[in-house]
Amino acid sequence: MSAAAPRARDPYRWWRTGLFLYTGLFLTFLYLPLIVILLLSFNDSTSTGFPLQGATTKWYAQVLDSADLIAAFANSLAVGATAAVISTSLALLLALGFRHGVRGQSLVLNLILLPVLLPGIVGGIVLLIFFGYMEIRSDLWTTVLVAHVNYVLPFAFLTLYPRVHGFDRTLEEAAMDLGATPLKVFRHVVWPMLMPAVVATALFAFTLSFDEFIRTVFVSGHDRTIPVLFWLLVVDEIAPHLPAMAVVIILVSTALSLAAFAIGRRADRST
Amino acid sequence: MAAEAVAVSIRKVGKRFGNVAALDDVSLDIRRGEFFSLLGPSGCGKTTLLRSIGGFEAPTEGDILIEGRSVLHLAPYERPTNMIFQHLALFPHLGVRENVGFGLRMKGADRAASARRVEEALRLVRLEDYGERRVDQLSGGQRQRVAMARALVNDPAVLLLDEPLGALDLQLRLQMQEELRRLQRQLGATFVFVTHDQGEAMAMSDRIAVMNAGRLQQVGTPAEIYERPANRFVATFVGHANMIEARLTGRAAEGLAEAEGPAGLRLRGIAPPHGATDGGVLAVLRYEKLRILPHGADGEGIGATVVEKTYMGSSLRFACRTGAGATMTADTPNAMPQRDIGEGDMVRLAWSPEDVVLLTD
Ligand SMILES: Nc1ncnc2c1ncn2[C@@H]1O[C@H](COP(=O)(O)OP(=O)(O)OP(=O)(O)O)[C@@H](O)[C@H]1O
Ligand SMILES: [Mg+2]
Repeated sequence: MSAAAPRARDPYRWWRTGLFLYTGLFLTFLYLPLIVILLLSFNDSTSTGFPLQGATTKWYAQVLDSADLIAAFANSLAVGATAAVISTSLALLLALGFRHGVRGQSLVLNLILLPVLLPGIVGGIVLLIFFGYMEIRSDLWTTVLVAHVNYVLPFAFLTLYPRVHGFDRTLEEAAMDLGATPLKVFRHVVWPMLMPAVVATALFAFTLSFDEFIRTVFVSGHDRTIPVLFWLLVVDEIAPHLPAMAVVIILVSTALSLAAFAIGRRADRST
Repeated sequence: MAAEAVAVSIRKVGKRFGNVAALDDVSLDIRRGEFFSLLGPSGCGKTTLLRSIGGFEAPTEGDILIEGRSVLHLAPYERPTNMIFQHLALFPHLGVRENVGFGLRMKGADRAASARRVEEALRLVRLEDYGERRVDQLSGGQRQRVAMARALVNDPAVLLLDEPLGALDLQLRLQMQEELRRLQRQLGATFVFVTHDQGEAMAMSDRIAVMNAGRLQQVGTPAEIYERPANRFVATFVGHANMIEARLTGRAAEGLAEAEGPAGLRLRGIAPPHGATDGGVLAVLRYEKLRILPHGADGEGIGATVVEKTYMGSSLRFACRTGAGATMTADTPNAMPQRDIGEGDMVRLAWSPEDVVLLTD
């Protein structure tokens, strides 16, 4: 008799199948280029492209050996770290200030966030003109750093502000009630509780800076960051070690972003 | 009152938020070692007054003295007060022991001595085994105790408590009430306790200040507040009472006065102060002071009919209509002989003149 029991028809069967296919396509579209790059990075051929000619790790050796690349990497790390620290500090101060409700606050807020909408190329040109007018020579520690802080700051503020804004003021009052001067309140209560959010913001800021290309290419002069170097390599010569370089950069950026994400999650739980 | 017995002196304090007068000409003295409650409906200014004592609000008028010294110019961290916040405000990034030790650490107290005092404070609130816990690993009642220990370890001249039991369920609330009272007695400390729960205020306080709309209504012991309400607001806000609009007709002996209520109801009660002998008064008679007797009982009281009987567990409430048409309500213990009285029954209502308070405002 059990054989007679009709199976209930799944009314969503077609929908489910369609969704499955769609998801598959979506993921292929997203990840295929990465897989291709990964394959090419091990390709034993001086011309980048298919067909694959056997496996080698020599491109990785070359990447890790290339003075240009090491220098650019060092530049990117240094500028990224500095820009991250500066923009996160500024964003923190700004967010802390905003808690006290200054006059014209929403106008200031909008002015801070507006540059986010500015196309990168416009930003680059504006900075180039500005630095030219000020007669500031293009260089890593002046123009590039300024350009990066300028670009990253609104994002850092956007990331940090909700956390700072949501901070429970009565905790500060409680600390003050227990004898903490405003400075001690910050040091012993506000800072320890905001620190994870600050670190996450700094990492996020770093990845933004590390990735920044358009503005940087306008103002970098003879100094090169990783994206700028890449671009030059692509334009000047189709260098065979490019895919290996790309893979290295992807790994580094992913690791940083994951770290930022993990720390951000911890910050969410602790506040 | 001797000046040195006063812990906190509030002098003509006013506080405006824009157009709202959160406090209006409030003056009162809180004695050293007393459990003092601020009682009033929501928005009456209790928190504002407490925060003004703690230094978190600056009064727009008047002065506040602690131990005889004006504290208006002192920041919260300079005042000899500690506060227990409504939502406790425990530091989530610190453990129980660090929370309790926070105040001592901020004052740069000696480490070994601090550690000892923290343990002592934890023992005081019966949390000696919980020092290592994180505060989010504690129950509501335990968190409450941590907040108390965190404040008390600093040995404040005055402890300020802003409805600290408001978030607890009834059982725990009663338990913590007892605990607070025990702590206060044991330490002999001055507690200023904000609540909008009259039962809580009655059960715990040495004295109560009743507030309404930013103004002080009455200050007194729980019995004074309950038995001798100073005005209509206090009489209605605290407990349940028959409120009978009446007219003074004359004075009687021993501080009593005669009044006439609606439908010729003759009342005698405690005369209003200021010696008024005529004009409108409000006669206040607590439900449980109105005795309800089965019809047969002779002599005493006036005749009435039970309109409604409400069962309330330990007590019964009878709404009655007098022969002359006035409605009066009586609470009695749920016991004989009142237990057998039913709706529609004829009864007699009786009361003593000492239980009737005549109020002019
Ligand atoms: N920071 C503020 N800004 C503006 N108005 C305020 C502020 N704090 C309190 N008030 C107003 O002052 C009045 C008294 O507030 P308060 O908090 O002291 O009342 P409360 O008696 O503690 O009430 P509750 O029992 O609800 O806590 C209220 O009308 C309130 O709206
Ligand atoms: Mg309040």
